[in-house]
Amino acid sequence: MQIRNHFPPLHQNIRAPHLQFLNPRFCSMAGQSDPHVSLFSPAEIEFFAEDEMVDIVPNLRVEALNMICGDYGPFTPQIPAKVPLWLAVALKKRGKCAIRPPEWMSVERLTQVLEAERDSSREFQPLPFHYVEITKLLFHFAQDDIPDMYLVKSMVEDIRDVRFHKVELGLETFTNRTQAVKLKNLSAMEANIIRPFSVRALQAFYKHDIPDVASQTAATVNRPSMADRGPRRTLRPR
Amino acid sequence: MLTYRRSLNCARSFGKFVVCSWKELVSVVFQVTANGVGLLDPGSETNSVEQGAKIDVTFWLAQELYLREAASINLPMHFNQKTRKEVQADPECVDLRSRCPYFYELGYKIAPMVADKELGTFISLTFNGRYKEILSKSHGAAFAAVPKFLPRLTKEETNLYEAARNSMIAFKEWRLGVSRLEGASVLGRKRKPIIEREEEGPMLKKLYNGENVPISIFTGELLQDPYAIS
Repeated sequence: MQIRNHFPPLHQNIRAPHLQFLNPRFCSMAGQSDPHVSLFSPAEIEFFAEDEMVDIVPNLRVEALNMICGDYGPFTPQIPAKVPLWLAVALKKRGKCAIRPPEWMSVERLTQVLEAERDSSREFQPLPFHYVEITKLLFHFAQDDIPDMYLVKSMVEDIRDVRFHKVELGLETFTNRTQAVKLKNLSAMEANIIRPFSVRALQAFYKHDIPDVASQTAATVNRPSMADRGPRRTLRPR
Repeated sequence: MLTYRRSLNCARSFGKFVVCSWKELVSVVFQVTANGVGLLDPGSETNSVEQGAKIDVTFWLAQELYLREAASINLPMHFNQKTRKEVQADPECVDLRSRCPYFYELGYKIAPMVADKELGTFISLTFNGRYKEILSKSHGAAFAAVPKFLPRLTKEETNLYEAARNSMIAFKEWRLGVSRLEGASVLGRKRKPIIEREEEGPMLKKLYNGENVPISIFTGELLQDPYAIS
C-alpha cells in the first residue's frame, strides 16, 4: 500500500519513459541525478533552426516539390523565393540556387547591434532566435553569397562573446532568494548552453535553503508573505 | 532486539548524492541499551551497546535510531566552529571535499535532527559564497587547465561545474564541426567476403535524422542521395 503511494505505476514508465521527466516526483530530482539534463544537443538545436525561412534565387528550373510539411512551388531562374533553410541548403549543395543572406546579416545592422550590446550592460538586443545556427550554416554552405563574409563572421563572433559575457554576469547574481530568472532576447543556442547549469544551480539553492528553527519561531508574528519573500531576480531590468 | 527496517521515505529521494550521502559516518550517542548489535561498538565486550555509548554509525542507521528515539545525533566535526570561521573568512578556499564530499547533502539532512539552530543558515551561506566566487565562472573556465579550485569542491558542486563545462564543450565542438552524418556501426567491423556480406542485405549508413541509406560495399559511397529530391 505504501509502496504504491510512493512510486508511480510501472506501466507508465514503460510506455513513455521520456515522459517521466514530466512527473513532478521525478522533476524535483531530475536535474540532480540525471547526467543528461541538457535535453538538447547543439546539433538538435541546429535542426530546429533549419525551419527558418530564407530567400533564395534559383539559377535552374526546379519543378514543384510536394512534401509532407508543405509544397514548395516551382522555382524559375532569377525569381526569388522563400523556402525553409534546410531546403535552401539542400538546393545550394546541388548548385541549384544562391542563398540571399537575411537583412539582419548585413554589416551595417550587425555593427549597430554590436554597438548597442556593448553599450547596455544588462540588456540583450533583439536578434533572431536562431541567429547562431543560421549564421553558422550560411557561413559554411553559402560563403560566396555573403558580401564581406569575414567581416560579418567576426562581428557575429564578437556579438556572441559580448552577449555570453552578460549572461555570465547575470549567473553570478543567483542567490538563495532567486525565485525566477528572466532573460529577454536570449537566443536558442545561448539558452541551451546555460540550461543544465542554471537548472541545477537553482535546484541546489532551493534545496539548501533551510529555514532556521529559531528564526522561524521568532518571525511568526510578522512573517513576510510569499510575495515579498525576496526580489524577483531579473537579468534585465524592465 | 533492535531491528532495522528501511523507511520508504528514503526510497523516494533517489538522487545520486542523496543515495551516497547515506553512507557518511556520523557519531551518535545511544539513549537506550541495544542488544545484539555489539559489533557496532568496537570497544564492547558483550554483544550489546550500552546506554550513553558514543559510536560512529552510518547516516541511514543514525536517522533510523533518531526517529525511534534510540539515539541522539552529534553534530559532525565538519560543521563545527572552526569550519564556520574558515568559511566566513574566505569561502572559496575552504577544502570541503577532504572534510566531507557530501557536505551540503548531509548538512541538509542533519539540520532537523541536531540541536544546532544555525546549521541551515551556515549551509546556505557557504553555498552562496562558493557559488558566487567559483561556480558562476565555470562556464568560461580555461579548458586545457583544470582550475585549481576543482579538488576543493564537494560532489554537488562538482556536478554543477561539470554540467556547465560539458555543455560549453559540446557547443564548441558543434561550432567547429560541420557534418551531422554519423558513421554507421557496420563500418569498422572486420571485412568479410562479399558473398557473405551480400547475404546480410545492403550495407546501410545511418544519417543524423535516423534514416538508413544504402551504401556501396566497394567504395562506401552513398547509393542513394540523402538530399535527393525526386
